[in-house]
Amino acid sequence: MSALDLSALTAGDIRDAIAAGDLTAREAAEAAFARIDALDGDVHAFNQVTRDLAFRAAERVDATVSSGSGEKLPPLAGVPVAFKDNMNLVGTRTTCSSRMLESYESVYDCTAVARTIAAGAIPVGKLNMDEFAFGSSTENSAFGPTRNPWDLDRVPGGSSGGSAAAVSAGMAAITLGSDTGGSIRQPGALCGVVALKPTYGRVSRYGCVAFASSLDQIGPFGKSVGDCALALSVICGKDSMDATSVERPFEEFSASLDGGVEGLRVGIVSDMLAMDGVAAEVRSATLEAADVLAGLGAEVGDVRLPSAEHGLSAYYIIGPAEASSNLARFDGIRYGHRAADATDVLDLYMRSRAEGFGPESIRRIMLGTYALSAGYYDAYYGQAQKARTVISADFERAFLEFDVLLTPTSPTTAFRIGEKSADPLAMYLSDIFTIPVNLAGNCAVSVPAGLGRDTGLPVGMQFIGTHFAEALVLRAAAAFEKAVSFDTTPPSVRALS
Amino acid sequence: MALSESEVRHVALLARLALSDDEVATLAGELNSILGHIDAIQRLDLDDVEPTAHAVPVVNEVREDVVRAGLPRELALLNAPEAQDGAFVIPQIVGPGGEGS
Amino acid sequence: MSTDRLLQVLERWEPVIGLEIHTELTSANTKMFCGCPVAFGGEANTRVCPVCLGLPGALPVPNGRAIELTVLAGLATCCEIARRSQFHRKQYFYPDMPKDYQISQYDLPFCERGSLAVEIAGDGVRQRFDRTGVRTEAGETSYATTIGITRIHLEEDTGKMVHVGGSEGRLSGATKSLVDFNRAGTPLIELVSEPDIRTPAEARAFAQKLRLIWLTLGISDCNMEEGSMRVDANVSVRRRGDAELGVKAEIKNMNSFKALHDGVAHEIVRQVELLESGGRVMQETRHWDAGAKRTSALRSKEEAHDYRYFPEPDMVPFVFDDALIERIRAELPELPDAKKARFVEAWGLPAYDASVLTGDIELAEFFEAAVTIAGQERAKAVSNVMLNDLSAHLNANAIAVTESRIVPAMIAELVSLVEEGTISSKQAKDVFAEMAESGDAPGAIVELRGLRQVSDSSQIETVVASVLDANTDKVAAYRAGKTGLMGFFVGQVMREMQGQANPQVVNEVLERRLAQ
Ligand SMILES: [Mg+2]
Ligand SMILES: [Zn+2]
Repeated sequence: MSALDLSALTAGDIRDAIAAGDLTAREAAEAAFARIDALDGDVHAFNQVTRDLAFRAAERVDATVSSGSGEKLPPLAGVPVAFKDNMNLVGTRTTCSSRMLESYESVYDCTAVARTIAAGAIPVGKLNMDEFAFGSSTENSAFGPTRNPWDLDRVPGGSSGGSAAAVSAGMAAITLGSDTGGSIRQPGALCGVVALKPTYGRVSRYGCVAFASSLDQIGPFGKSVGDCALALSVICGKDSMDATSVERPFEEFSASLDGGVEGLRVGIVSDMLAMDGVAAEVRSATLEAADVLAGLGAEVGDVRLPSAEHGLSAYYIIGPAEASSNLARFDGIRYGHRAADATDVLDLYMRSRAEGFGPESIRRIMLGTYALSAGYYDAYYGQAQKARTVISADFERAFLEFDVLLTPTSPTTAFRIGEKSADPLAMYLSDIFTIPVNLAGNCAVSVPAGLGRDTGLPVGMQFIGTHFAEALVLRAAAAFEKAVSFDTTPPSVRALS
Repeated sequence: MALSESEVRHVALLARLALSDDEVATLAGELNSILGHIDAIQRLDLDDVEPTAHAVPVVNEVREDVVRAGLPRELALLNAPEAQDGAFVIPQIVGPGGEGS
Repeated sequence: MSTDRLLQVLERWEPVIGLEIHTELTSANTKMFCGCPVAFGGEANTRVCPVCLGLPGALPVPNGRAIELTVLAGLATCCEIARRSQFHRKQYFYPDMPKDYQISQYDLPFCERGSLAVEIAGDGVRQRFDRTGVRTEAGETSYATTIGITRIHLEEDTGKMVHVGGSEGRLSGATKSLVDFNRAGTPLIELVSEPDIRTPAEARAFAQKLRLIWLTLGISDCNMEEGSMRVDANVSVRRRGDAELGVKAEIKNMNSFKALHDGVAHEIVRQVELLESGGRVMQETRHWDAGAKRTSALRSKEEAHDYRYFPEPDMVPFVFDDALIERIRAELPELPDAKKARFVEAWGLPAYDASVLTGDIELAEFFEAAVTIAGQERAKAVSNVMLNDLSAHLNANAIAVTESRIVPAMIAELVSLVEEGTISSKQAKDVFAEMAESGDAPGAIVELRGLRQVSDSSQIETVVASVLDANTDKVAAYRAGKTGLMGFFVGQVMREMQGQANPQVVNEVLERRLAQ
């Protein structure tokens, strides 16, 4: 039999088929591995494929079904999932796509990962990323770039490029990524899948290797808004292991997706849309998206976020500063790469770190160390934290007038591999729309809006909500998704069937 | 604020990164071009603005003083580059030291 | 170095001393930021978890009880408790620190601006000179002074390293080191004093008083040998009368109160001799070697640290309201100074007795228990027995009061036996010795040994009569005026009665009979 095409099914479909006995979890897992075998040689979304873990998880699900105990199947029963390689899972290596952790074996589980597997999901592997999540193209992986399933010569975005590409290519129905300045939403947009960055504190960060502690947030990728809603309900909630995770009443996010946008106030962030560097096809796609929403009965208007232009500066101070501190622990003593024949501890530190970290990691560690060093704290970190305050205030003002804000997710569609890797600053600009959201701690989801009229590549729209407004944002995204009915299957995948 | 190569070397020592002269030169260039962009933030008048450490304001998050299971020693040492007698092994310590030094 | 040398130096030079005292909150069940148990020793790396090993992805969650204990410590030392505080990261690379930064506090510590009153007694008094070099309080046996406390902040302790290849685990000469993270993450409070301390004796008194308070609060076992209490001193000297401060050196590795006193004293003399011979004091960290009785430079400060403090982003700030602070204040036990005042005012103890008894928690508890049994009116008598017989017994056997066979009820009973005239205070000495030996109750010993003194006059009358009959010549001589013979008659009666007669009664009876 020809491998079942997972990319034709949502996570919800798979779970229901398994519950109905039309499909076994093992078949779902095999379908995922068949797709990985067929495509991942080209795409390279995976750093590690975990067949044993997957089949053991599948057995548990199939046993529950065949026991006929009528016991209710958990929400992700039999759904093939995969995790960004900065999330710990016992039985896997957690490499952060770095030489530093090339052979690092997880000894405990990331909370979001554990909750996903406890919900019956089938873990099929660990996903490629920019080293330590530093990047927007997944070209900074020490193990080679991930390629965009829509065009193998192009980047999938990043840093969670593997997570986006895996869903796009149907290698997993749902994946988890982490988003510090756009690392979930931007690759979601470039690969034409749905990608959600929850409110800061909504999902525990425990077990996800930290980049910038005050900005990082774990979130899901899926073929549909519904799948992301399903996954969010599974991974969200207070965790006693993360002091920054927030206690909230439980929400079944997939339950409230059909409310539509009738009367919903949608603000187009006009001043950001006008920034240079925004591709014409992206600008026009955004205006079309606004029309679609208006057509659905939304009250669409213009809104400005004047301080957002300083987001990039604040982000490239706060991010590297916190990263320089979070990455100090990679010192070659308790784990990770250790330089050979060190003469003393200082020599061990200096060479282990220089050898273990890639160029972008070293750039960010240097930048952050400098920003925190004597005499510069106030000018950089202090000033950036104040900028954060005014950016948040801009959003609060905007949310008095509007329920949801709309921007493109990325200023361009997927760019060519190597196109920006020479110029760090150009690369940093791919996150201008997403960064302010992290600085303000808001939630946002990227939804495919169609193919760019010039490049023919996926364009993503970013729906932004205030703190803990995921239900509202997902509802708007679902209405938009239904209206544009974008086929998320890339050509490379269509070619298979 | 432009970074000199000697400042880059000083920062590299603080960050414990052994850099070649070429790497120092390259980094000085890259960091200065990034700082050139970032320094725009200096122009913002934020004197009477409170800094934001976390966008979602929460306070007094603490843990009960209750013991929970830790890691068995085999797992604690699983990834150790070098171990002996249940401890992590490091070469001799000379030069810049620990706290208060 | 002789004490005289120190005193000579102190005449001309004024030391300026500040202390930094780290104390592990050993009474907490778990570490500062994870659920691993707090304990001492044990097999290497057997009390660790992803958090205290600094594994990738692990996050710290603060121990609420440790924060309360820190506030308690602040309240006990007259500190202001911060209404808003938070943790910062102090960044430096060192192998005993898993994350290569220490979660500590910076500009927003939990406690600030406190003070501690200390009393300097005994020899230490002689170290005190005024600004002109005249010894003050001459002839006084003690003086009191108040030392400012800059702050108390909470942080995490580091792991431990054993250095291999060098001499007995010392750093110098070691070829490699073994790192154990069992201690890493233990809650640690750091108290920083104002530079108000002027003599080695004051430094020692401050540390001892602080330890007594920490022990009274029960926040730590304050074991200096095991390192759960670590005292470092910043020492500088200036000529008497000078206004500006000299260059200070930080002295570490003083693992006992004696080491603290001697380490500071030696450093003072070293700096003065250096300056008087035209040298300069370097700002550096120096290591006290109790064996060699000298401090030596540990590491020079040239490559000065840049700790790059910034607010700990893995944790949220702390906001304390009055209700919370008052709830913690309600936990405060009676502190040593209050206890001393109560012993003096309520129980009429001399100040000296009260200081000694409240200077040791077990001694004070023992005393209170004994007085509760014997009755407050006998507090002074109980104190006498404790400060004389009991202390002598404890010193002789080099044991703590809790290790002795003597319990408060025994002292109470012994005192009552004397007060009620059952035994003489001379007999009490023997009874004490025996009960210290056997652990038997005093009453039982008195019975067993038949030590009960005879006050029954009829029995004494008979003996007196027989003595006088047997010595008619001396009786006549006495009546003729040789009253000096009284002692002889008393002695005879006492011998007849094996010394158990109540001397007063014997005297009365003799005087009456001889007067006839
Ligand atoms: Mg300290
Ligand atoms: Zn632990």
